[in-house]
Amino acid sequence: MRAYLTVFRMRLRMELQYRGAMIGGILCQMFFGIVLVALYRALYAGHPQSVPIAHVTTYVWLQQAFFRMMLATDPDLLDKIRTGDISYDLCRPVDLYGFYYARIGAQKLMGSLMRGIPMLVVAALLPYGWGILPPASPAALFAALAALLLGLLCMCALENITMAFTMRTLDPRGIQSMLNLLMVTFSGNLLPLTLFPDSWQRVIRLLPYAQLLDAPIRLYTGDAPLSEALWILTAQGIWATVLILLGMALWNANRKRMILQGG
Amino acid sequence: MNTFKLYIRSMGMLLRSHLQYPSSFLLQTLAQLVMEGGEMLMVILVVDRFETLGHWSGGNLFFFFGMMSVSFYLTEFFGRGVTGDFPSMVRSGRLDTFLVRPRGILTQVLCGGMDPRRITCIAVGAASLILGSRLSAVVWTPLKVLALAESILMGCLLILGLFLIEACFCIHSVKSVELVNALTYGGRSACQYPIDIYPHPLRILFSTVAPFALTLHVPAAYILGSPLYGWPLWTVYVTPLSGALIFAIMTAVFHRGIRYYRSTGS
Repeated sequence: MRAYLTVFRMRLRMELQYRGAMIGGILCQMFFGIVLVALYRALYAGHPQSVPIAHVTTYVWLQQAFFRMMLATDPDLLDKIRTGDISYDLCRPVDLYGFYYARIGAQKLMGSLMRGIPMLVVAALLPYGWGILPPASPAALFAALAALLLGLLCMCALENITMAFTMRTLDPRGIQSMLNLLMVTFSGNLLPLTLFPDSWQRVIRLLPYAQLLDAPIRLYTGDAPLSEALWILTAQGIWATVLILLGMALWNANRKRMILQGG
Repeated sequence: MNTFKLYIRSMGMLLRSHLQYPSSFLLQTLAQLVMEGGEMLMVILVVDRFETLGHWSGGNLFFFFGMMSVSFYLTEFFGRGVTGDFPSMVRSGRLDTFLVRPRGILTQVLCGGMDPRRITCIAVGAASLILGSRLSAVVWTPLKVLALAESILMGCLLILGLFLIEACFCIHSVKSVELVNALTYGGRSACQYPIDIYPHPLRILFSTVAPFALTLHVPAAYILGSPLYGWPLWTVYVTPLSGALIFAIMTAVFHRGIRYYRSTGS
């Protein structure tokens, strides 16, 4: 266990290095956030919905702030798969899956915190109906934080499943773009899940993608009441376990039939 | 061989090289179809829930989305050298080889890349355009067809011009600059909906610095029968020229910038 924690810590420090690129990234992400908020405000102007606009803008900002958590891959691992350097990792006295799970976990956590916190601070300063609302209650905030943590576990597990496919096909572009599309669509990044047709929502909420950011955000805004919190967290926990087990099985299967590149 | 012929030749060669791996090409093209289909699905869902946006009907929204999609992906299809490959040309030193050849640099960059996988994105955009024009019951006249053609052409030039901004930063700092994405991809996301729904700062940005509103929305609104801001007919044919203007300015800046180009060396 200590080995994985060390990998995690090293990766955290690594993420802290690229601050210049980070500022550009934050500004760009904020711009996208403002455009989306302006669009939803215009849509709401003539057609008020059951979900208040302030909840939708909160949803948009939280999605933008933690965007990095969803779409971040481990560039080193991709290179290693392509060049065959992954053979060195096979020699390490740690479990390969756990090693990369810890790495991607640190990358996603630090990457999104570093970008997310400044963005949320700015979004909190925006006027009502443009920015982010405070959490529904202190308890809702805690529930949302717990859900975010479970969401992170799901996200890393999903990332490792994508990587398992990459190990087989060597070309990450096809499978990655498909899975990313599923992710941005059904996680509520392109359009808040609360605005999907009501009949779709019941199904989409059960998919693993809804566990990533949608579940924590709904707990935060209070769209999901605290009485449902336990049920939501359990569903997330089940998905995290299933996805991790599935990923491990895929990685182990890959290990048995791995053909190394290079020479 | 004149420049245009050279460009057509290069496109032919690139197309053949892309088709060398038919199954991979087919899969990636399908992936593009699913991706752009997903984007369109979002518009469908928005129309399903909200029905109208300001004074624009759902059909109008499909039309605006189609205009943006077709222009953006036509640019990516034929101008991949500028919109996608340029940073790697700088990083890998491929740009150096362009400098010693007796042709314009921008010509060579444009001849150096194409992305035929985008054909499905263009198809989705065209489908959305047709659907939008049907739903909005547009009566097509030669004048309207001319407006549409001019608008899409100028839209392409505008998008090329905006990507040239990124290219200029890239010459300077070797790394591509994420912030410019706010104008290019951000402009695409924002301006696939009509401009007059946005607050003034965004309207000004997309009418001056990145004038998608002038190249795409003014003609589109005319075609849909409700001229933007009630502007007179001649504006429909004049304002899109701003796309060519931005392209001309950025070409000049690009050529100035290339003088300061220092190879990455290797």
